[in-house]
Parts: sequence; C-alpha cells; structure tokens
Amino acid sequence: MKRYLHQRLLLLLPTLFGALTLVFVLVHLIPGDPVEVMLGETATAADKEELRRSLGFDQPLSRQYGSFFIKLAAGDLGHSLYEQASVAEIISARLPATLELALGAMITAILISFPLGALAAVRRGRWADRLALLFSLLGLSLPNFWLGPLLMVVFAIQLGWTPVSGRGGMSHLLLPALTLALGMAAILTRILRVSLLQAMHEDYVRTARAKGLSERRVWLKHTLRNAMLSVVSIVSLQFGNLLAGSLITETIFSWPGIGRLTVQAIQTRDYPLVQGCVLVIAISYVLVNFFTDLLYRMVDPRISYGK
Amino acid sequence: MVVGIESYPLQLDPRYATDANSVRLDNLIYNSLLRADERSQLRPELAETWRMVDDRTYLFDIRKGIKFHNGQPLTAADVKFSYESILDPNNHSPKRGLLRPLHSVEQTNTFQLRFRLTVPHAPFVEQFTLGVVPASSTGALSSQPPPGSGPFILQAKESGEKITLKVNPDYWEGKSSLDGLVFKTVPDAMVRVLEFKKGSIDFMQNDLEPDVLPWLKSNTDADIDAYQGTTFQYIGMNLTHPILKHAKVRQALAQAIDRDRLIRHVLKDTATAANSLLSPLNWAYAASARRWPYDPEHAKQLLDEAGFRDPDGDGPLARFRLSFKTTNIDLRRRIAEALKEQLQQVGIELEIRSYEWGTFYSDVKKGNFHLYSLAWVGVMDPDIFFQIFHSNSAPPDGDNRGRYSNPEVDRLLEQGRMTNETAARKLIYKRVQEILAEDLPYVPLWWWKNVIVKKPSIRGFSAYPDGDLISLKEVSLRSH
Repeated sequence: MKRYLHQRLLLLLPTLFGALTLVFVLVHLIPGDPVEVMLGETATAADKEELRRSLGFDQPLSRQYGSFFIKLAAGDLGHSLYEQASVAEIISARLPATLELALGAMITAILISFPLGALAAVRRGRWADRLALLFSLLGLSLPNFWLGPLLMVVFAIQLGWTPVSGRGGMSHLLLPALTLALGMAAILTRILRVSLLQAMHEDYVRTARAKGLSERRVWLKHTLRNAMLSVVSIVSLQFGNLLAGSLITETIFSWPGIGRLTVQAIQTRDYPLVQGCVLVIAISYVLVNFFTDLLYRMVDPRISYGK
Repeated sequence: MVVGIESYPLQLDPRYATDANSVRLDNLIYNSLLRADERSQLRPELAETWRMVDDRTYLFDIRKGIKFHNGQPLTAADVKFSYESILDPNNHSPKRGLLRPLHSVEQTNTFQLRFRLTVPHAPFVEQFTLGVVPASSTGALSSQPPPGSGPFILQAKESGEKITLKVNPDYWEGKSSLDGLVFKTVPDAMVRVLEFKKGSIDFMQNDLEPDVLPWLKSNTDADIDAYQGTTFQYIGMNLTHPILKHAKVRQALAQAIDRDRLIRHVLKDTATAANSLLSPLNWAYAASARRWPYDPEHAKQLLDEAGFRDPDGDGPLARFRLSFKTTNIDLRRRIAEALKEQLQQVGIELEIRSYEWGTFYSDVKKGNFHLYSLAWVGVMDPDIFFQIFHSNSAPPDGDNRGRYSNPEVDRLLEQGRMTNETAARKLIYKRVQEILAEDLPYVPLWWWKNVIVKKPSIRGFSAYPDGDLISLKEVSLRSH
C-alpha cells in the first residue's frame, strides 16, 4: 500500500507537468495580446514593446516556458497582469467558494440519489421505480442555464425563501447547490439502481438470505456495499468536475468561484492566472482520483494495490 | 443603496483604471482638477480657477482645505505626483499615452501648478479629469488603492463579488445623504433583473437585454428611463479590401441598413440612429453630416455603378460575399443576423463570424476583417478622429484599423488639435464629419441610450451621457 501511495504521488508530477505544458502552449497560441488590453487604445508601439519586455513576453516561447517552471519550482505562481495581487492570493480568495459549492452540490446529490436509487431497485417496475427513472431523465435533460433561473424564480422570487444570487450563508448556497446537484443526482440514481439490481441477483446475496440473515443486514452488508464500487467512481469523477468550477452555475448565481475566474483570465489573456487556475484544477483532479483509489479499498477489501 | 453591475472592477487606482466600472467607481472616490458635467462640459473641481497662459501652458489654482480620506491635506504636490507617476515609464500606466503632449508639471506654490505642453494640443484639457492621489502613495500599483478625496471612501473589496463604499462625512462639497454604496457584481443580465425584482438591487444602468425592459415595466415598480448617450455603434470596414475600397459599395451598405427598424424591434428603442461618431450632445457635432436613410433601391443602383451587378436579379445568387465579425454576446449576434437579412435584400451576402472578445478584438486590432461592428465609448473631444482616421494612426500607432486615408482629413485633423479656439475647432470638425459621412470609412449605426432602472424611492439622480455615476453623490432615498 505504501509503495502504491508513493507511486501515485510520483505520478502526480508528470500529470501536472503535462497539464501545465498543454495550457502554456494553448494560451500562447490563441489570438489576443494581454499588452494591448493592459495599455489601452492610446499607448504607442514603443510603450507596448517596453511593457512586453518588462513582462518577458518578448522572449522566445521556450525561454518563457523554462522560466515559468523555474519560478513554479520555487513556489511562485507569478502575478496577475490586471489585479494587483499574486496568482496564489487571487486563487486562494476564490477557492473556498468553489469548495463550498462543490461539497454542497455533492452532499445534496447523494442525499437525493441514494434513497431514490435504492427505492427504485427495491420496487423495480412499480410506480416508485418509474418516478425515479422520470426524475433521472428530467435531471439529465434540464440544462443548468435553464434550471438555475427557474429555481430562482420559484424559490427566491415567488416563495421568497432564498436570496437570488451571490455568496453568503446556507441560504445563498441552496439554489446553486441544487442546480448542480440535480444533474448529478440523476446519474447517480441510475447507476445506483442498476448496480443494486445486479448485486441483488448475485449468488452471495442468495446465500446470505439462505443463511437466515436479516433483510437489513443482507442489504447493507452484501447488496449495497457491492453496488458501491461503480457509485464511488462516478461520485469522484463528478466531484473532480465540480472542483474545476462550474462556469454556467457560477455565472448565473454570481458565485465567485474558480470557474468564473478561469474564464475571466482566459478572456483577458491573463497568462499567469490561467496557468495558476489550471494547476489548481489539475491538482484537484489528481487528488480526487487518489482518494477514490483509497476509497475503493475501503469499500472492497479484495482490491489490492500490491505489497 | 445597492448598484448592480455586470463585471467586477479590475483596478481602482485612478492612474491605472481603464475598464468602465473602475472608472465610474473612481469618480466617486477620487477628485480631479476638472470634471465633465451632465452636458460633457468641463467644470472646475479641485481647481479653484484655471486659465491658459499661452497656447501650451495651463495654470491651476487648487482649492484649499480639501483633505484625502486619510486626513492628509490635498495640495499641488499631490496633483504633480499623480501626473508624474503616470508619466514614469517604470510604472506602465495605461494612461501614459494620453499624457504624451505633456512636457512638465511645475508646482509654483503650495496650491498652484503649471502644466506645460510640448506643442499646442487643444484636446489635452480632457486629461485634467484624471483622479488625484496623495504624493505619499507608491508609484507602482499596489493591491490596496490609494485614498482619494471624493464623496465616498473605499470600505471593502470582495474579489469578484462586490465593492463597498462608505460616505465621506467630511466631503468638501457637502456630505452625501447616502450612508454608502454597494456595487454588486451580477454577471448575468437576467439575474440582475431578478435581483431588482427581489429588492436586493436598487439601481442598474445599461447592460440589460432590451427584451426585459417591458417585463420590468409590468412586473416591478421600477422607474425606467432612457437618456441619450454618447456611445457610438458602427460597422468598421477594411478599406484595403478589393470590394470595400469602393466608396459606392460603402454607401450602398449604409443605405441597405434599416436602422429605424433595427432600433425599434431588436433594441426596443434604446438607441438613436446616428450620422456621426460624435453625438448631438457633443459641442462639435455636425448635424450637416450626410445621413444615409434606408433606401434599398438606391443601394442596388450604387452597387451596379460600382461594377458589382447582381448575377441573377432577385434570384439566390449574391453580388459578392463578405465576412462580418462580431462577439458571441447574444444581442450582438441577433443584430448581426438582422443586418445579414437586410443586406441580402440588395444582393450582399454576409457570413457572420462570432468570437469570444479576446479573439475578436485581436482580429480587429490587426486589421484581420472585412466588416466588423464595435462601439466607441466615452467620446468627449473630437480629436478622437485623429486616433481613428488619420493616415498616421494605422495600428500599432493608432486605431485606423480599416486603413482609411484622405489627405484633406489628415490636414484638418492636424489643424484641429493645434487650434485652441472652440469656434474655429468646431468649423474644422464640422468639415471632418461631412467628409467622413461621404467617404464612409465607418457605417454609422446608432448612439446607444443610457437605460436607468431604479427604485422609485431614489431621488435626484441625473444621467450622464457617458454613463458616469457621479450624480449618485446627490441622490437621496425617500420612503413612500
């Protein structure tokens, strides 16, 4: 297990290196010049050249690439070209908002999908099952840019229960978390239903029943636990996506998270900030995958990661 | 009072601020020597008096007794520092280019300053509206903007979310009756409208989809008013293009567009058809500049005369095909679709290409376009024509992106900036506008109106043509 952990941590480095290289090349290839945006309409060609030189943008791309990694190795993500703060400061100001929304959405999705998926499996072919499948169809079909405003109109305007947008306490989190959660809950409900149905017909479940175990014990110890593997992979994949920030939901709900920040940085060609955001997103994915592997082992002790 | 804005202000230090929301907030936090009033006329603000000593020297007497928000008195030394820190090449201020004609700023006594220019340059007076910061500020940018001396004090910045200003109780012009202002960033226009309906936003200006205005009228108690603005929307053209280099083709384009119908149906009357870059609110506006009213038959005739006959009359084949670049904002795309449909009627086929802002702007800057549509915002001095249409202003040294060249216009524009007398300048720019209206390096579309949506309890707000929010300092809230 220890060896496995070391291997995974070592794998982190080439993964991040690859992601950052790709982003470095892409942001420099897309049209648009940050210097033009920074200096405005009235700057002379000489002023622009001077700023380009002081930012190091006059250097060949290979040298810019090298110095970016040298600074990164020293823990320096650089400074935003527009906001007068370091990239690390800007990202750390936005990261809690993204984490809050991701956790809120994840928990909501689990709270909706677990009972619904289990109910659908147990009552297969009956109205509860059909209702769960209908919910999952709707959840998958409704886009966030439509669902978000709909929830706002109903809960914030008509019923007056929540604020419309922005970040604050729990009441602010409710609608954006629900918007993100419904799509996820739809997928999870389906996966859980199918996994449970498969597990319910396995020999070991029949054996457990034959041994005279209580139905509750059969469910919790044998059926649910065996159905969890596929659910854990989907949950972690979705959680990784959430940590990358959800542009549409963050924009609709004026949520100051990483998704909006990344897009704003791309639009203004704020190279250091784009690279910083991508680094954080890549690290989130790698960490989520890492913890998922650990979770697999907890769910299914038969899984071995070598000695 | 909560003001809903579309994008978070990027930079509040007035020496560096360029985006519209930063500039508008700065005007509430900082004072300047002069300030444009609601008719775009420059009035003294920090200046007690000011005069031109000769055609390149300005003398300012600063008001006494004004203090910065940190309690320091404001003197001529602070004004001098503010300008010199912009001029310092190490600070990379985006406003340095604007101060290019400035030779020196001399402090003659504690409250007097002399600005010397290298050459006579009439439009320089606009630069006396730059915000003044204390001489104790750092020259370079820092994460905390320096204190100002304006009616409101910066209280808190919450990155990406909101900026809170509190009232300056010792403001030299008198304390505002508001306790403070919150500028709340709500990127989605529809959500801003819902926030208004809910009561969590009290005031909005522009950046609303025209379609939501009727809904706001019937579903909220909003006071909605549209005031004539100065923002000028146009179609820019590449004059080096083999088709667009013909003036008759450009004139045909101008006559094939039914501006009134577009304004009525797509923009819901939030604009006025334009004939010049300068709006009628500008002192130099020339009403005599030729208008090109909608006349598709004449447009077809002009195209025939230019040698671009319709190959199959009213059939599906076009006379020629041009690309039209625009941003991927929904309203811009709808305008582009409407233009495409109108130009099709005279046999011109438009291929619409919509891009995200960075790519679009990069293409426009490089001259990589046939046709594109953009707007000029905050136009005050007619010298802007030099930056846009003088033949020496081709990128990277200016914004003559379509490569327009007319020696008479060049001569007039050079003369215009060297002339200090307003009446003489007015005549010069009248001629410039008349020539441009014939040559049509731009097809004028419309001047946008400033749409103000506010709670009825907000009293005393005056709209400014450039969208400035300075009159928020005079606003009061009345319960009803």
